[in-house]
Amino acid sequence: MLVRPATSWIVPAALVGVVVFLVVGSLDSAVFAQQTVSGLANGGIYASLAVALVLIYRATEVINFAQGALATFTTYVAWQLISWGLSYWEAFVATLLIAFVGGFVVELIAIRPVERRGNQLTVVIAAIGLLILVEGATGWIWGNGIKFVPSAFPARFYHLGGATISLQDLGTIGVSLASVVALWAFFQFTKVGLAMRAAAVRPEAARLVGVRVSWMLSLGWGLAAVLGAVAGLMAAPNPSYLLQPTMMDGVLIYAFAAAVLGGLESAFGAVVGALLIGALLNLLQSYVHWVTPQLLLPVAFVIMLVVLLVKPSGLFGRTRVRKV
Amino acid sequence: MRPSRGTVVGIAVTALVAVAVALLPFGLSNYHRSTGATVAVYFVAILALNIVTGYTGQISIGHGAFMAIGGYATAILTHDHGWNDIATLPIAAIAGFVAGVIVGLPALRFHGVYLALTTFAVALAVPQLAKNYSDFTGGTEGLALPVHSGLWLYEVGWAVAGVMLVLAWLLLRGRTGRAFRAVRDSEVAAASSGVTLAVYKTVAFGISAAMAAVAGSIYVLVNNFVNPDVFGLTLSLYILIGAVVGGLGSLWGILVGAAFVQLLPNALTTGHVVSSQAVPVVFGAVVIGVMALLPRGAANLLGLALHFGSQDGQHSDTPLGTEGR
Amino acid sequence: MTKRMKAALALAALAVMAALVSTAVAASTATPGVTAKTITIGGTFPLTGPAALYGVIPKAENAYFQYVNAHGGVNGRKIVFKYYDDGYNPANTVPLTKKLVEQDHVFAVYGSLGTAPILASRDYLNKAKVPQVLVATGDSYWATQYKKYPWTMGFQPDYPGESRVYGQFIQSKVPQAKIGVLMQDDAYGENYYNGLVAGLGDAKSKIVDVEKYDATQTDVSSQIVKLKAAGANVVALFSLPTQTITALAVITKIGWHPTVFINNVSGSPLFMSLAQKAGANVDGDITATYVADTINNPSSSTAKLYKSILSKYDAGADPNDSNNLYGVASAWTMVKALTQAGKNLTRQGLMDALTHMDYVNPFLYPGLKMKTTPTERFPIDQQILEQYKNGAWHPFGHVFGNAR
Repeated sequence: MLVRPATSWIVPAALVGVVVFLVVGSLDSAVFAQQTVSGLANGGIYASLAVALVLIYRATEVINFAQGALATFTTYVAWQLISWGLSYWEAFVATLLIAFVGGFVVELIAIRPVERRGNQLTVVIAAIGLLILVEGATGWIWGNGIKFVPSAFPARFYHLGGATISLQDLGTIGVSLASVVALWAFFQFTKVGLAMRAAAVRPEAARLVGVRVSWMLSLGWGLAAVLGAVAGLMAAPNPSYLLQPTMMDGVLIYAFAAAVLGGLESAFGAVVGALLIGALLNLLQSYVHWVTPQLLLPVAFVIMLVVLLVKPSGLFGRTRVRKV
Repeated sequence: MRPSRGTVVGIAVTALVAVAVALLPFGLSNYHRSTGATVAVYFVAILALNIVTGYTGQISIGHGAFMAIGGYATAILTHDHGWNDIATLPIAAIAGFVAGVIVGLPALRFHGVYLALTTFAVALAVPQLAKNYSDFTGGTEGLALPVHSGLWLYEVGWAVAGVMLVLAWLLLRGRTGRAFRAVRDSEVAAASSGVTLAVYKTVAFGISAAMAAVAGSIYVLVNNFVNPDVFGLTLSLYILIGAVVGGLGSLWGILVGAAFVQLLPNALTTGHVVSSQAVPVVFGAVVIGVMALLPRGAANLLGLALHFGSQDGQHSDTPLGTEGR
Repeated sequence: MTKRMKAALALAALAVMAALVSTAVAASTATPGVTAKTITIGGTFPLTGPAALYGVIPKAENAYFQYVNAHGGVNGRKIVFKYYDDGYNPANTVPLTKKLVEQDHVFAVYGSLGTAPILASRDYLNKAKVPQVLVATGDSYWATQYKKYPWTMGFQPDYPGESRVYGQFIQSKVPQAKIGVLMQDDAYGENYYNGLVAGLGDAKSKIVDVEKYDATQTDVSSQIVKLKAAGANVVALFSLPTQTITALAVITKIGWHPTVFINNVSGSPLFMSLAQKAGANVDGDITATYVADTINNPSSSTAKLYKSILSKYDAGADPNDSNNLYGVASAWTMVKALTQAGKNLTRQGLMDALTHMDYVNPFLYPGLKMKTTPTERFPIDQQILEQYKNGAWHPFGHVFGNAR
C-alpha cells in the first residue's frame, strides 16, 4: 500500500473539526460542556493504558492482552504497601520499581520462550493466558472486594463555564501526555531508547551493531508495566473505576480502540484517540437516542472498524508495506 | 489412492474412540452424563475454531459470539415458536454461517493482531446486542427451555459432535482443506497457485461459525437456559485455550482440549473459595506453558506416540501460520 | 415364540418391575441429604466475577451453621453446607446445581444468589421436586409464581416492595420533589422503578427524568450529569454497589446536593464508607432496611452474638458489611425452618415449615415479623427507612408494611 499524500490533510482537518465542535457545543450548553469534560476525564484513563499498549507494540509488534490485568495487579501492590504503612509517594515509587522488575521478569519467563518457538500469534495467545492468570491471581491474593487507594492529587475542583472538572481528572490527562513526551524523549535521545527502536525495526541489523535484542524486548515490557502501573494508580481513586480485580477490563477495551485509532505505533495518536473516544461516547450516550447503554461498546467497535477500513494505519500511524 | 498404514491405524483408533464414547454414558451417573454433554459442546466449538484458526491460519478470539448466535436461534425458536429443539440445529447453523461470513469479510483486510482485536470486539459486542434487544432474547432474565435428562443430553451432544467431526474431516481432506492449509502456510503462494484468498477465507469463517453456532445450540439445551452472561468473553477464551492446549490444526487434540476446559475447573471447584479462584491461575499457566514448550499442543505428544504426526505432511512448525511477522 | 420363551420374558419383565418398584420405595423412605447425624444442603454463589461483592454471604451463612452445629445442631443433626462458585453465570449455575442434587445428594438447595441464576435452575429443581429456598434475590417471582414453581421461595423483601416505600415517603413527606432516577437497564432496575411509580401513586409526575446504565458500565457520570440538568432535587439510585458508589461520588464532584435514595442491596455501610473515601458527601442519604441495627446498638445481644459468630467461624469477615448480617439472618431462618420441619425431615416438610412462618428473627430489625402462608410467600414484607449521618445509618419514622 502506498502513502497517498494528497489526502494527508484529512486527519488534521477532521480533528480540528471535532475540537471546534466540542468547544462550540460546550460554550453553547453547560450540560454539553459537563458531558464533554466527564468524557475527556474517562479518556485520560484510557489514554494512560493505551500508551503502554503502544509501547509494547512498538517494541515487539504484539498486542498485550494482559496489560490491563498487570496494571490492576500492580495497583494492588500499591494498596498493599500503603496498608503496610508506607506513605503514598513511597508506595508510588516502590510500585513503579516493582512493576518494572515484574514486567521485565514476565517477559523473560512467559513471553520469551513462546516468542522463540512461535510467532506473533502464539505470543498473543500467551498474553491471553497471562491475562487469565494474573486476573485470577489478583482475586486469589487480595479477594474480590473493593479496595481504596488514595489519589495522587488533592481533592480540588475547577469550574469552567458550566462544567466542573476535578484536579484528579486534569492530572490524569496531564500524566498521560507527560508519559508520551517522556517516551518520545526516551526513544529519541537515550542510547537505550535508540537501541530498543533498532531492535524492534531491524533486529538483525541491531544485533550486528551489538544490541542485545532480546534484552530490549524485556526492557520494553518492563517500561510498559511501569506505564500500566501509572494507569492503575490513576484509575483506582477515580470513582468511575475503583480498585477491584476487574478494574481495568473495561478500560483495556477502550484503550485497544484508542490505540488502533491512533495507529498502534503512535503514543500521541493513542492519547488523542483515547480522549476522542471518551468524549464522543459520553456525548453519543447523552444526545443520540438509540445509543442505549448496552450499545456503547458495540458503537465504539464500529467506530474502530470504520477507521480501520478507511485508514488502516489509523489516524497517526505511518502506512507501511506489509511484509509477507 | 491406496490407504497408508497411518490412515488404517487412524481409522481403527477413531472407531475405537467412537465406540468408547458411545458406551461411556452407561457407566456414568446422571450428573456425569450432563458433564459429558458439555464436553461435547466444547468439542464441537473447538473443532469449529480449528477450521478457521488451525487449518486456515486466521485467529479468532470471538467464537463465543457465534455460539451465542446458535444458542439464541435455538432458544427463541423453541421458547417462542414451539419448535422441537433438535429441529432448530440446521437453522442455528445457517444463522452462524451468515454471521461468520459477515465477520470474515473484514478478515480479508485485517491480519494478525488486527484480526485478533476485531474478533475480540465481536466476542464482547454480541452479548451486548443480546441484552439490548431484550424483546427477542429475554435480556438478562433470559429464556428458560425444557429440562432434559443427562442421558438424552449426552447422546444428542455426542451424536452431533460425531456428525460435525465427519463433516469437518470430509471438508478438510479434500480440495477445500488443501486450499485452507495453503492460505495458512503462505497467502502469497496460495494466491499464486490459484487459490482465491477472499473466497476461502470467508468460507472458512462461515463454516467455522456455523459449527460454533451448533455448539451454542447444544450448550443452551444442556443448561436449559440462555442469557447474555452465558456467552461472555470467558467462553471465547476457553474455546481458544482448549484449541491451543489440544493443538491447533489437529483433529485429535480437540478431544484433549475439550476435556481439559470442561473437566479441569470441575475438578478444582470442590466447594472451597480457594479452589475456584485457582482455576484461572492454573488455566493461564497451562496456556503459557503449552505455548512455550509444545506450540503444537498436547496432540503433538499423542501424535508422536502413535506415529500419526506426518500422515500427509500437513504440519508446519507453526500451527498458526507464518503470517504477520 | 415358544411358550417357554414367553414365560421367561414375562418373568424377566416382572423382575425388572420389581427392581424398579423396590428402588422407588427405597427412595421414598430415605430423604436425600438427611442421615441420622447430618443434613446436607447446598447453594451456588458468585464467589468470583462481576457480583463477587456478594461472595461473603455464603461464608457468613456457613458461620451461623457452624455455630448451630456447635450448640447441638438441628434436632440432633449437624448441618453440612456445600457452596459452589458460579461466577454469576447461569451456564455455571445449572451444572453446579445438578452436581448438588445428583452428586452431593443435598436435601435442599439453599440461599443461591442472583435472579438469572435462579431463573436458570428453578425448572430443573422444581421438576426434581428439590426445595430451592431462601434464594438471595429480590424479584417478586419467587413469591408470585408459586403455582408453577412450588419448590422455589425467596427471603428478602422484594425490590418493588422496597422502592414502593421510597415512593410513599416522597409522596407524603417531600411535596416539592422533582425525582431523577438512575436505574440499571434490566429487570432489576425495572422492578425498582415500577415499585417507585406504584408508591408515588398520583405523584408519579414528580419523576422528571429516568437515566439507564448497562450492568457492564462502571462509569455513570454521563447519566448523573443529565439528571442534574433535568432539574431533579431528589435522586433514586436503583443500581448495583459499584455504580452506586460512582454515582454518589460524581454527584458530589459536580457540586450537586439532591436528596439521595439508595436501594438496600447497595447501601451497606461498607459501600457507604468507600463512597466517602472516593469523595462523596453521603450525609443525609436515605435507604430502607430490614436487618438489625448492629452498628448503633453495639451492645445489644443480637450485635454481640453476630460479631462473636463472625469472629469465631468466619475469620476476617467485616461486621460492617451488611451482606454478612444478611447471611446470618438468612441462615437463622433456614435453621428455624429445619427445626420446625421436625425430626422426621422431608422435603415437603421443609416447604410446609417455610410457608407457615410466624415469628420474629433476632437478626432482623426489631418489631419486624416473618410471616408466610401457602399463598402469601413473601417472608419479609416490612421495612424501615434510615438516614446516613456521621458515618452510620440511623433508622427513623415508622415501620412500613406492604399492603398487597
